[in-house]
Amino acid sequence: MSEVTPTEPQRLATEARDRVRFEEEALELSDQVYRVARRLVGSREEAEDLMQETYARAFRSWRSYTPGTNLRAWLLRILTNLNIDRGRRRQRAPEMQPLEEGDYFLYNKLEDSSRERRSDQDLVVDRLSQDDVVSALSAVPHDFRDVVVLVDIGDFTYQDAAQILDIPIGTVMSRLHRGRRILKTALAEQTVGG
Amino acid sequence: MQYDDLCDQCEEWMQPYLDRELDDTERAEAEKHLDGCGYCRKRYRFEESLRIFVRQVCSEEMPPELKQKLAALRTPL
Repeated sequence: MSEVTPTEPQRLATEARDRVRFEEEALELSDQVYRVARRLVGSREEAEDLMQETYARAFRSWRSYTPGTNLRAWLLRILTNLNIDRGRRRQRAPEMQPLEEGDYFLYNKLEDSSRERRSDQDLVVDRLSQDDVVSALSAVPHDFRDVVVLVDIGDFTYQDAAQILDIPIGTVMSRLHRGRRILKTALAEQTVGG
Repeated sequence: MQYDDLCDQCEEWMQPYLDRELDDTERAEAEKHLDGCGYCRKRYRFEESLRIFVRQVCSEEMPPELKQKLAALRTPL
């Protein structure tokens, strides 16, 4: 009596189960991925398109994800690559002005321009509006903004951001430093006139 | 409050400190300085609250219909 080997059907069943699990886990992360995506691009429509492209590609190439590794970072790597592929490089090259002032400069500016002494929290919340921050962030040139968004909005480590963007960790640190400085300079201009 | 050389170092450490990227020795040194320096402590607290504020106001919820569209991209069983 010849035996029907169950190997192939079993393999297919296991693969289907793994794929479903992958898809569920990826979908559970979609809120967090969207929060980052939304600030990497200029409009909600672009973010939605980018999310759909990202998830379509992720579901197609799920086998290249290694279970147990950082799935959110893996999804964001697809997303940032697609974003770059979409020809976003229309933006002008960033002006590389020297960073003369230290990291305390925004606090110092706000403090100098405050008539009365208030708490540190008030210095931020009272004087910056949501629109100020969102428009200041969207004006940060892409290369710098990508890193700021991944670390400050996405809460990724420098190492994760380096892997997502495929750049050295030293470049992450320098772009983050400059990106935050550009952001704070814009906030200073909006609140105290530079 | 006097701004001194240690404050310079502390200022350089502020971003990696808040990013939790300093090594143990640097973090301990930064915290020791912050314990005794109101000038730097105020600026660290400000930076931390600025970051929280930026994260809050820049975090936009995903539209529910997008989630449905993403779910529809799954491989049919």
